[in-house]
Amino acid sequence: MAIRTSRAIFGTAVAAFVAGGLLLGASGPAAAQERLDELREQGFVRIAIANEPPYTAVNPDGTVSGAGPELARAIFKKLGVEDVVASVSEYGAMIPGLQAGRFDVVTAGLFMKPERCRAVAYSEPDLCDAEAFAVQKGNPFGLRSYEDIAANPEVKIGAPGGGTEERLALEAGVPRDRVIVVPDGQSGIKMLQDGRIQVYSLPVLSINDLLAKANDPNLEIVAPVVGAPIYCAGAAFALGNEELRDAYDAVLAEMKESGEFAEIIEPYGFSAEAAKQVTREQLCAAN
Amino acid sequence: MEWDWAFVREILPTLLDGVRLTILATILGSLVAAVVGLGFALARRSRNRIFAKGIGFFAEFIRGTPLLVQLYFLFYILPDLGLTLPPLVAGVIGLGLHYGTYTAEVYRSGIENVPRGQWEAAKACNLTVVQTWRHVILPQAIPPMIPALANYFIAMFKETPLLSAITVLELMNQARSVANYNYRYLEPMTLVGVFFLVISLISVIGLRALERRFGRLR
Repeated sequence: MAIRTSRAIFGTAVAAFVAGGLLLGASGPAAAQERLDELREQGFVRIAIANEPPYTAVNPDGTVSGAGPELARAIFKKLGVEDVVASVSEYGAMIPGLQAGRFDVVTAGLFMKPERCRAVAYSEPDLCDAEAFAVQKGNPFGLRSYEDIAANPEVKIGAPGGGTEERLALEAGVPRDRVIVVPDGQSGIKMLQDGRIQVYSLPVLSINDLLAKANDPNLEIVAPVVGAPIYCAGAAFALGNEELRDAYDAVLAEMKESGEFAEIIEPYGFSAEAAKQVTREQLCAAN
Repeated sequence: MEWDWAFVREILPTLLDGVRLTILATILGSLVAAVVGLGFALARRSRNRIFAKGIGFFAEFIRGTPLLVQLYFLFYILPDLGLTLPPLVAGVIGLGLHYGTYTAEVYRSGIENVPRGQWEAAKACNLTVVQTWRHVILPQAIPPMIPALANYFIAMFKETPLLSAITVLELMNQARSVANYNYRYLEPMTLVGVFFLVISLISVIGLRALERRFGRLR
């Protein structure tokens, strides 16, 4: 009896040791497969979204839609993960959240820019769009580019915190105190209507969506913004999760081939062709 | 997660801008709260019952709703009624009104603590209402209130990050935009904590001094 007990203890110790070793060594090639198995087992993957239709949308009943989450849902289903659980987050908080392990993947239409490519592991491009401005009717300040905003000290620009537009405005030389961080699309339109900001910048499809909802004859869209190229987003994984990303990419490539990709994103207004014509490598190397 | 001193040096000037605005908002907010609170306290003592009740209800209403909701109201809803306030002004009014309802209670207890005999003595000396308040009641009522008021001052200081919700670029908002831009939260948020702690500690030392000076029973 005594012998058996000590053996059992020894066995447990070995098991614990092995398990510990596996956890510590979880960055090797086996890790991604493991990560995917874990996700399959728990039945869902955690995604970060922003509630910016048509990229990502939280419906009035609390369900999540939008091109990004729908695409992720379809891809993960093919990988054997049944469901996605979304948390709404600020753009700027997504990459730190990913690094901190709060989500498994960001599918919020996070545009690929070189500095982001260094911070996360992107999938191949999925959603492409140009930048746009929402302005007062007739564009009274004649704004066509971010440089125009920088040049006019009376113009304040609204943009999502940590979004591509905030960065583009700052890079174009708009001082920090004229770049107003707007919490969400509705607030942005409201602040534009109230004259707190003179221009609100988001991708074309987002501005179109917002203006259609606001239905305000005093607002109009300026698109595309001069000098801002077409950007493409991808699903963003944490660095070290490249194997999971590769599995995701494989399915994405198949779906682009079969036309399923177009079926999912085109109803939202995105061009599947645009995404097919570029690669992650090109976009991450740009400028 | 590694602490990066070079990054700290880079972001420090931006954060100091935020500190300046945070302190400005707190000081302006306190002034508004001090004045509004006195107004509330006096109005609630008014002989006109309906007026006193109305003001009392209004103060209760403000105290019973979250500051964040009030800020949204001031910033996003007032423009529909034709009043567009700059973010900082809306923030100062929000803080001042909200904390004014608290300081009103401080004033009330201070005033009520002035012994009844003082009122009667003032009347006996044939002082007018204004003279009674200015020369008899307030000089006795205000000193004991000062430590309690200063306490609310520190509490308000720590609530200023709420102003980031209405786009005031105070310390928290600056830190957030720095963090958003660089994908790092460790340094900016730690520095926010340090700044608040340092300023709070200094204020607490000041508060202790005030308590020693005014808090004693005579």
